[in-house]
Amino acid sequence: MSLQGLGMGWRPEIAGFVAGLPGLGFVEVIAESLPPQGLPWTLADLRDRDVAIVPHGVRLSLGGAEPVSAKRVARLADAAELTGAPLVSEHIAFVRAGGLEAGHLLPLPRSWEAVHATVANVRRTKDELPVPIALEPIAALFDWPDDELTEAQFVTEILERTDALLLLDVANIYANAINRNLDPVSTLDGWPLERLAYVHIAGGRMSGGLYHDTHTDPVPRAVLDLLPAVKPPAVLLERDGDYPTGAELLAELDAIAAAAGFEEVT
Amino acid sequence: MTLAERQAELVRCLVAGGPMPDGFDAERLGATRKALLRKRSGEVRQAWPALAASYGERWDEVFTAWAEGKPPLGSLIDGHDFALEHPPSGAAGVELMVYEVGRRKAPAFQYRHRVLAVNIAGRVRVFGRVP
Repeated sequence: MSLQGLGMGWRPEIAGFVAGLPGLGFVEVIAESLPPQGLPWTLADLRDRDVAIVPHGVRLSLGGAEPVSAKRVARLADAAELTGAPLVSEHIAFVRAGGLEAGHLLPLPRSWEAVHATVANVRRTKDELPVPIALEPIAALFDWPDDELTEAQFVTEILERTDALLLLDVANIYANAINRNLDPVSTLDGWPLERLAYVHIAGGRMSGGLYHDTHTDPVPRAVLDLLPAVKPPAVLLERDGDYPTGAELLAELDAIAAAAGFEEVT
Repeated sequence: MTLAERQAELVRCLVAGGPMPDGFDAERLGATRKALLRKRSGEVRQAWPALAASYGERWDEVFTAWAEGKPPLGSLIDGHDFALEHPPSGAAGVELMVYEVGRRKAPAFQYRHRVLAVNIAGRVRVFGRVP
């Protein structure tokens, strides 16, 4: 089953709003936030209505030099079973090293060494998962000094070697382009869009001369404008705090649907 | 240096006050360090709403100044550690009591500032005039 149409990141704070969206195509839930004993009832209700639920991992650290934790992989596999997910997703990033948690997704050096480390971890993960995995390149405020590959090349190498799907975040594309002084549309060249499972979109803002992918601000027009170039089968809005009113979220979802060429769903 | 060593050096720099790794743009790493602290301060605000509210608009500034160089231990623990070093009063003090009494084995109680928090069978009740 492939994802279609408009999706919304399910968060407890807006669970009722998400459940009430009439044309909802799918939702995503932070995999680590799912209680192991069972689904919160609002999510179980969505599953019973045949709304696809995608567990979205944020703590596996697939790009870490150390082998991915078998326990964390098992929990992601459990989350896939529990939600009846068509696929799961995670990031091309690392979140811990040397016994310290960073508390956020950190970028990898775009080197062959990092390709090999990430590929090994994605393979270990895929071996335990009951469903396919889509991998998302992240937004970062800095690059490593010794990059050998462009971001599109780096991601393509990892996806091809692991036969994983692509989760492309157009807000991350925008953020990285702005912060590297590049034209966002031109940085869309070379991405393996034939592997695209779905697209993320989120809000952010300029601060201190840099674009911050905050997930707590409205989606800028320039980010919406990237959707037509990608022609995604499915788009999911991520909002992670400072929640606006329901009416404002609906307007944002309508604008996303219009930019992606979907029928209005709200 | 191996990838593992370089990743560890970078995380130490970003969250534990470690030195700047060679070759990186110092300004960008500084901006990242600040962004991580701000995210953390927002997460602690969600876990400890009364504590954060007791600082009003200064919360981000006060918390991030305290958390700078301290590796994150999760929003619940970070907020608790902050509260232990900055003993709160009023509603934030009650929030701290409820947390501490709730973590102890029932029956347990704590009496402070004319407010009594009691943990009976794992459920915390508060008596007295809560500010």
